[in-house]
Amino acid sequence: MSHSHTKETDGPEVYFQYEDIEQQQETYLVGMWSFLVTEVMFFGALFLIYTLYRWKFHDDFYLVHEQLNWKMGGLNTLILLTSSFTVALAVHFAQKGNTKLQMRCLFATILCAFGFLAVKTFEYGAKIDHHLLPNHHFQYGHVEGEEEHHVESKWDKMLPSVLQVEKKEQHGNPQRARLFFSIYFTMTGLHGLHVIIGIICFTALMILIKIKSSLITDYVPTEMVGLYWHFVDLVWIFLYPLYYLIPK
Amino acid sequence: MSATVVGQSSAKPSEPKNYLNADHTLKSWLLSVDHKRIGVMYLIAVTFFFFIGSIAAAMIRYELTSPKGILLSSEVYNKTFSAHGILMVFQFLVVVVPAVLGNFLIPIMIGARDMAYPRLNLLSLYMFITGGFLILASFVLGGVDAGWTFYVPLSTISETQISLCLVGIFITGFSSIFTAVNFIGTIHKMRAPGMTWYRLPLFIWSHYATAIVVILGTPVVAITLFLVVVERGFGFGIFSPELGGDPVLFQHLFWFYSHPAVYIMILPAFGIISEIISCFSRRPIFGYRFVAYSSLSIAFLGFLVWGHHMFLSSQSVLQGIIFSLISFILAVPSAVKVFNWTLTMVKGSVHFSTPMLYALGFMGLFVIGGLTGLYLASVDTDVHLTGTYFIVAHFHYVMVGGTILAYLGGIHFWWPKMFGRTYSEFWGRLSAMIIFIGFNLTFFPQFMVGYLGMPRRYHYYYFAPEWQFYHLLSTAGSTVLGFGFLLPALYLTYSLFKGKKAGPNPWNAKGLEWEYTSSPPITENFTQPILVTDSVYDYNPAEDSKMYEVDEEATVEDMNK
Amino acid sequence: MAADHGHHEYTAGGAHAHHILPQKTIFTIFGFLLAGMVLTIWAAFYLPIPNLLENTFFMQSLALGIAVFKAYLVVTYFMGVKMGTRLVKIFAIGGFVWFFVLFVMMADYVSRPMEPVVGWEKVPSSALPRDTVKNPE
Repeated sequence: MSHSHTKETDGPEVYFQYEDIEQQQETYLVGMWSFLVTEVMFFGALFLIYTLYRWKFHDDFYLVHEQLNWKMGGLNTLILLTSSFTVALAVHFAQKGNTKLQMRCLFATILCAFGFLAVKTFEYGAKIDHHLLPNHHFQYGHVEGEEEHHVESKWDKMLPSVLQVEKKEQHGNPQRARLFFSIYFTMTGLHGLHVIIGIICFTALMILIKIKSSLITDYVPTEMVGLYWHFVDLVWIFLYPLYYLIPK
Repeated sequence: MSATVVGQSSAKPSEPKNYLNADHTLKSWLLSVDHKRIGVMYLIAVTFFFFIGSIAAAMIRYELTSPKGILLSSEVYNKTFSAHGILMVFQFLVVVVPAVLGNFLIPIMIGARDMAYPRLNLLSLYMFITGGFLILASFVLGGVDAGWTFYVPLSTISETQISLCLVGIFITGFSSIFTAVNFIGTIHKMRAPGMTWYRLPLFIWSHYATAIVVILGTPVVAITLFLVVVERGFGFGIFSPELGGDPVLFQHLFWFYSHPAVYIMILPAFGIISEIISCFSRRPIFGYRFVAYSSLSIAFLGFLVWGHHMFLSSQSVLQGIIFSLISFILAVPSAVKVFNWTLTMVKGSVHFSTPMLYALGFMGLFVIGGLTGLYLASVDTDVHLTGTYFIVAHFHYVMVGGTILAYLGGIHFWWPKMFGRTYSEFWGRLSAMIIFIGFNLTFFPQFMVGYLGMPRRYHYYYFAPEWQFYHLLSTAGSTVLGFGFLLPALYLTYSLFKGKKAGPNPWNAKGLEWEYTSSPPITENFTQPILVTDSVYDYNPAEDSKMYEVDEEATVEDMNK
Repeated sequence: MAADHGHHEYTAGGAHAHHILPQKTIFTIFGFLLAGMVLTIWAAFYLPIPNLLENTFFMQSLALGIAVFKAYLVVTYFMGVKMGTRLVKIFAIGGFVWFFVLFVMMADYVSRPMEPVVGWEKVPSSALPRDTVKNPE
C-alpha cells in the first residue's frame, strides 16, 4: 500500500509524500500553526462572551469573583509557566539530540500538568460543595429563613492555611453570579480538557520515544506537542487575571 | 500547461496499475491513506447523506401541496425541515466539493504524491461519518425541531434530541477543520517545483480561500453549539435571558460562522466553474489574478457581513446599516467572477459538453441567487422579505443552483479521471437540462409566494389558499428535480461497469491532472517528478476549434445507438 | 520517486528550524514570565497608589497589558515564531489579529442605545396593516 517510505540516508524518516526532510518538517509546522489558529478562534469566542458579560455586569462580576481563590489560581499560573519552560527545554534538548534530558523535561511537564489538575480539583471540589456549579443545585447569596449562608467543603479544609483565603460572604445578584460561574466553568473546564489532552499527548510521545517507534525520528513531534502546550499556557495567562483578579 | 516530465519515462501501457486496482481488500479501502480513495469514500458518504436529506425535502414539498397539510403533523413537519436543513448544510453542502473533488484533485493538480497529512485525512473522513451517524441517530431517536440554526432559547428548552445532534455537528465541524488544515499544509508546502502561486489552477485558489474560512470560522460555531449542549445538559446559562444572558449573542456567534459557511459552500464551486469554463471555451481564464484574488476577498469580506441575518433580531440599527453596506460590497468580488467567466467565453471555441452545460446552468442560477441576495442585504426590503419563502428561494438558488450544479459539473468533468470511464454524453446533457428546468420550476415560484408573504417553516397556509398554485408548481418542479438528480446516479454508476475507457485526457484539458497522470491515476499520482514551467491555462481557441468536430460526430453516433 | 532537483526553489527562502533556542534565552524568558506573574498579583492587591487601585480601566489594562506581554514572550520565543519561517509568522499573527474580528460583535451592544432615527417608534401609516389583511376578499 501507500506506506512505502523512501529512506535515503540514516537520520529522520521522510514519508513518501515529501521530497525531503526539510519539506516534511516545515509542512508539519504549518499544519500545527493552522490548527493553533483554530484553537485561538475556539477560545476567542469564549473570551468574547466573557468580555460582553463582564462589560454589562462588571459590578456583579467583581463581587462574585471574590468567591474564587486567587492564591490557587496563582499557584496554577506558576505551575503552567513552569511546564511551558520545561517544554521549551525539552524541545531544546530534542533538537540537540539529548534524549535523556529531553525525557526528563517531558516528565517534569507531565508532573506539572497533573499538578495543575490537582489544584483545579481542589478548586472545583470546593465550588461544587459551595453550590456554585451552575446546575439545578446552584445557590448563591443569602437565602430566606437561613441565619447565615455557610457551606462547608472538605476540599477547603484540606488546603494548607497559606492557600486558604478568608471566607467571604456572597454578595451580588445571584443570577449574575450564575452567569459568571457558567462562563467560568465553561472556560476553565475547556482549558482543563486541553490540559488532559496535553497529558495524553505527552505520555504518548514519551512512550513512543521510549520504544524507539518509527513514528518519531526527529525533534518535530516534540516541538508540535510543545506548541500545543504553549498554547494551553497562553490561554491560562489570560484566564488568570480575567477571572481571579477582577479589579473593582 | 507546459511542464516537463523529468527523467526517463517508464510508462507501461500494457499493465495499467492504478489507485483503484492497486489493492482489492475491503481493509485497503477503509484504512487507506491515499487521498484518491478517501475522496471516493467521501463521494459515497455524501451521496448517502444527500439521499436522506432529499427524502426530507420531498416530504416537505408533498406536505405543502395542500393549504391544510396532508401528511405531517406540525411537530413532525418541524422535525422534517430541521432534518433536511441539518443534513444538507452540515453533512452535504459544506463538505461536498472540498471533501470529494478537493481531496481527489488538489494533490494531483499541484503535482504532489498525496496530501500533506494523509492520516489526518483519513481521520477526518471517519469523524465526518461519525458525526453524520450521530445526527441520524438523533433523528431516529426522536428528531430535532429547532431548525438547522438552533436558535436559543428554543434549542435550549426544546425536548427533542438536540444535544445528540449538536454533538454530531461538533464532530463533523472538527472533521472539516482537519480537512482544511490538510489543504493549507498541502497547498503551501506540497507544490511541485515551479508551481508558483500564479501558476496554480483557480480550483486550488478557491480551495485555499475555503480552507482559510473553515479554520477561522468553524471553531466559533463549534464552541457556540457546545455551549448550547452545556446549557441543555448541565443547566449552565450563558445564553439564558433570565440570568442576564443574551440570546442574540448566540445568533451573532452562530452567523459569524454560518455566513462564511455560505462561502465555504460556494467558493469551491467557483473553482470548479473556472476550470470547466476555460476548458470548454478553449480559452485561458480571463483575468486570472482578479478571479484568484476575488476568492480571497470573498473569504475576507464574508466574515464581516454576518449581521445581515439579524436585521430583525434586535441588533442595533447602526450595526444593521453597516452590515448592509458591507453586504453590498461583497457583491463586487462575486460579480467579478461571473464577468470573468463570461468574458472567458467571448471569442472562445465554446463546446456544450455535459460539464459545460452544468457550468452555464450554475452561472444563470447563481446570478439570480446573487441578485436576489441584494434585496435581502438591504435593510428595508429585508424587513418585508425575511422569514418568508423569498429567503428560502434565494439561498436555494445559491446553494443548490450554485454549489450542487457546480459539484455535478465537476463530477462529470473529472469522472473520467476518477474512474477511467466515460459516461453517456446524451444522458449527461439531458440530466443537466432536466435539473436546470426542474430547479427553476421548484424555486422560482417560491420567490413569488415569498414576496406575497408565505412564511418559511409553516406547514400550512389555509389563511391564504391562493398560494396553493405556487406550491403545486414548486412541488411539481421538485419532482422533476429529483428525477434529474437520480439520472446521474444511474448513468454514472452504469458507466463504472460498462462505460468506454477514457484516455488520460478525454477533454483535451490542461492541467497536471490531465496531462501527466493516467486515468485513473496511479497511487503515487505521477510516475516521474514534475517540473512546472508555465501557466496552467494555455488553451488556444484557434488551434483547438477543430478538435471537437471529430468528437461531435462520435457523440451523434453514440446518440443514434 | 526521490528526486531532489529544483526543490530548493520553494523550500529555500525561510530559516529552518536548525536554529535552536539557546538555553540561556529559555531561562531568561522564564524569569520574565515569573516576574510578570508576580507583578500582576502584586499590582492587583498591593499597588501603593489608591487612586489607581480604584480605577477599573487602569487596573484591567495593566493586568491585560502584562498578560499580553507574557503571551508575546511565549509566542515569540517558546513557540519559535521569531526563528520561524515567514509563513509561520503570518499564521501566528493572523490568528491573533483575526481574534479581534470577533469583537466587532461588541459594536452591536455598544451601539444599541444609539438610535439614529428620531421618533422611529411611531408607526408610519404605510406600515399599518392593509384592509386586505383584515377583510380577505
